[in-house]
Amino acid sequence: MLRNPGLALSAIAAGLLFNAISAQAETEITYQLWGSPQEGEVWQKVAKEFEAQHPDIKVKVEVNDWDSYWEKIRVLMAGGTPPDVFAMDAPLYPDWQSRGVLLNLQPYIDAEPGLLDDIYPITLEAYKTKEGYFGLPRDFQTIVLYYNKDMFDAAGVAYPNDSWTYDDFRKAAKALTKDTNGDGTIDQWGFWAEVVDPEPYWGAVVWSFGGDIVDVAKGKTLIGSDQAMQAWHFIHDMWLEDKSMPTQEQLQQYGTDGFQAGIAAMGVSGHWSVPDYAPAKFKWAVAPMPKGPAGRVTSVNSAGFVIAKASKHPKEAWEFVKFAFGPVGQAEAAKIGLAVPIRKSVAESPAYLQQSSAPIDHKLYIDALQYAHLKPVFRGYEEWSAAVGDALNNAWTGALGLDDAIAEAVQNGDDALAKNRQ
Amino acid sequence: MIRIEPAPWESRWPDRLAMLALLLGAIAMVGPFVWMLSTSLKLPEDQYTRGLIPPTLTFENYTRIFELMSFQTLLWNSIKIALISTFGQLLTCSMAAFVFAVVKFKGRHVLFVLLLVTLMVPQQITAIPQFIIFKGLGLYGTQAPLYLPSFLGGAFGVFLMRQYFLTIPIELAEAARMDGASLMTIYWKIYLPLAKPALAAFAIFAFLFSWNDLFNALIYLPSDLEQTTLPVGLALFQVQFAGKWTIMMAAVMVSVSPIMIAFFLAQKHFIEGMALSGLK
Amino acid sequence: MKFGLRPLGGERLWVLVLLGPTLAGLVLGAFGSIFATLGLSFFRWDLLTTPEWAGLDNYLGLGNDRMFLRSLSNTFIFSLLYVPLTIVCALSVALLLNRRIQGVSLFRTLYFLPVISSPTAVGLLWTWIFAQDQGLLNGLLGSLGIPPVRWLGPNMALYSVVIVNVWGAIGEGMIVFLAGLQAIPREQYEAAHLDGANALQRLLYVTLPAMAPSLFFQSVLSTIHAFQAFDYIYILTRVGNGNSSVPTLVFSIYRNGFRFFRMGDATAQAIVLTAIIFLFTLVYFRIQKRWEVPV
Repeated sequence: MLRNPGLALSAIAAGLLFNAISAQAETEITYQLWGSPQEGEVWQKVAKEFEAQHPDIKVKVEVNDWDSYWEKIRVLMAGGTPPDVFAMDAPLYPDWQSRGVLLNLQPYIDAEPGLLDDIYPITLEAYKTKEGYFGLPRDFQTIVLYYNKDMFDAAGVAYPNDSWTYDDFRKAAKALTKDTNGDGTIDQWGFWAEVVDPEPYWGAVVWSFGGDIVDVAKGKTLIGSDQAMQAWHFIHDMWLEDKSMPTQEQLQQYGTDGFQAGIAAMGVSGHWSVPDYAPAKFKWAVAPMPKGPAGRVTSVNSAGFVIAKASKHPKEAWEFVKFAFGPVGQAEAAKIGLAVPIRKSVAESPAYLQQSSAPIDHKLYIDALQYAHLKPVFRGYEEWSAAVGDALNNAWTGALGLDDAIAEAVQNGDDALAKNRQ
Repeated sequence: MIRIEPAPWESRWPDRLAMLALLLGAIAMVGPFVWMLSTSLKLPEDQYTRGLIPPTLTFENYTRIFELMSFQTLLWNSIKIALISTFGQLLTCSMAAFVFAVVKFKGRHVLFVLLLVTLMVPQQITAIPQFIIFKGLGLYGTQAPLYLPSFLGGAFGVFLMRQYFLTIPIELAEAARMDGASLMTIYWKIYLPLAKPALAAFAIFAFLFSWNDLFNALIYLPSDLEQTTLPVGLALFQVQFAGKWTIMMAAVMVSVSPIMIAFFLAQKHFIEGMALSGLK
Repeated sequence: MKFGLRPLGGERLWVLVLLGPTLAGLVLGAFGSIFATLGLSFFRWDLLTTPEWAGLDNYLGLGNDRMFLRSLSNTFIFSLLYVPLTIVCALSVALLLNRRIQGVSLFRTLYFLPVISSPTAVGLLWTWIFAQDQGLLNGLLGSLGIPPVRWLGPNMALYSVVIVNVWGAIGEGMIVFLAGLQAIPREQYEAAHLDGANALQRLLYVTLPAMAPSLFFQSVLSTIHAFQAFDYIYILTRVGNGNSSVPTLVFSIYRNGFRFFRMGDATAQAIVLTAIIFLFTLVYFRIQKRWEVPV
């Protein structure tokens, strides 16, 4: 090279030119999500694999806790600098979609025939609108029953199985509530649940008793119906009379998850709890939700991808979504173990079914789809849920009687629905 | 510590009572922190033991958070921003406070009240107009929105310094005026040096305010663990560590210590040693 | 303020230089805060679409907003307890520390500790202290034979939250009052003593009037803190999906603006909040005028 400066110069020039071209061709897109730092790391991996296949696109992944995440997204949107791709919770999707800030993905989907073939249909429902899909599901959650085998063994109670009814469930919970160290205070409960948001527990119970949650078109909150009231009485009696569940104040000192803290023999949750429970020192397993008078029902919900309409790189954003939605991205995400892949071929493969960190029956979460109802998805969901939740809370702290609290919940809920009518 | 002989109007007796009262109060103030420290040194299994002395002393909680969280980067980002902000505040607020306290001009009362009112509006509401401004300036994604505003005065600082300046007898300024001193000289050579206790107090508040600012760091900085500040990082981990008190307390201890050190240093330098005789 | 120096001729420029940054901040801050907030309160805005004119609707709707009314009442009760408690405690501590006592700087650090901790972090610690079964407080009570208290239950939660906030604020007032106390010249006490004043009279007629500026300052600030209280309260009373069993005004504002897509309602509530604080401030201004003693 030194012998021929001309050649050397040309080589350098070519090198610089090449660099300049590739630097110019590189677009950077951002993907923001809520979650734990570990989730962020896994999505970084997915992003890296995507970048390997698309060298001209760089993906920046950012993770925040739930509250901070939504604050940030809102401010960025209002300020005109939204992230290109961001995570969406299905119930909140209509609030964003109906306000026209999401990109319509239908043209992109139409250009890829068969893209949606391999997907569980119920997970797609939340994102369908008259004009098409403005978002796509990323992963889904169904609610199942978790139980602590060690506690069941110690108390001599038979494990939950798929013939269990809510009465069996209640009896077992009672038998598993005890004062294990004899100091006069209960320190082990049969069951714990968060009873404010419908997803983990009360939605399923209300449905299982034949009731329903909400009819948005009519602007009616339905949790005050006779069947629903039976469900409420069941929950109330088990909690405040049997006392086989810790009160919110009692739970607080152990954290936010009674099952994980090892103070409750049973809990209800989605697949998101699996990585939290995996390192537990006690043996545990999962069972389907108990049967109610109207049959067995559980709740299904999903997190999805949406692209901001104001994104400056919609095509690149779509490429990333397509990748993450596709088999490779789904398989990688399945490794987090936080959720169930929405793609059948991945969910029914070892990538999901055999997670070495948690040797439990992962198939149960997929089977649950057969008797799952979709978590309510509508515009104004948060406002409605807050109104109902505030009123419900009065029942659980004892500030109001159950019937009064439910009546208040229905009224507040209807007000919220009316405010959000379009 | 300067020991001064009690003045003829003071007896020794109340001092001892005062000491006792202060001790009791101090226990209430510090008790939670002692418990926090003790919990952070316990093994996770022992987190509910009531005793102050950990059954097994361990530092594993601390090593874990440094492993999990790239704490050093977060700490450094927070410190840097806080130091710049504190300087900006000390400078601009004392300047404005001097004018409000000492200089007669039309409308100074109204202006001051207007300034106070800006304190009364909750931060989350003003965030969005501010964001639009900073975005327009091209500063989104940088650290600048976190410390630039501190160079524009601030109601709290101006308020605090003004109140303090008001306790300095105006005769000092008048005398200096008669000797031909300009306003700047009076500010720089008379009022500022006399205001050391207030400046020290304000410095701590300004530092603290910047240190604890979660919202602005969240909005303007990319949310990754290299570029964001401590509060944002802590929020991310808090959800994860709910119920795991030993590691949470370790994280809290680490995030509180820089300020504790800063406070201890600040008061050693400025507040301590000021004679009770006050001004001469 | 009646006294002050008149700026001489060319000094007006210097006044502008000294005041400049704060003026700029005021303009921007005023734009960002008061006017924008006030303006927005006359619109319906969901942050995502263009604002829609709403006239006085947002304000009129407040009367029916159950959550807002509840927050308003909580915040008032909270503030009426918090402000006097904080000031009295902070002043007492400052007075006690102003004596010649061993280890003053250590005490100052200890009393200031709660102030420098971030509410999110320490708030969690307090949930544990207040916890029903395993909590520190109930443990202490138990060893004295007193039955456990539901500190964070529906009856006590508001008062427990006052305790935590006062705990976290005493140090701040203490520092301000200490600075003020140290500025009082000894001669004044000498003179009072020579006039035959006892300790209480010295307190009432020398100390407190000289402390008027600091007292005023701390009262205004405490009131602002009280009505804007949010962090500690939210962490201690958080229930389920981001709800709170003791909602405050700022919580209501936050929820409307950042969860419900109702910036119009949020800003209207913020204006109400600002107006309340402003009224209190006017009252303090009045009181201070009467107390003012020319130095």
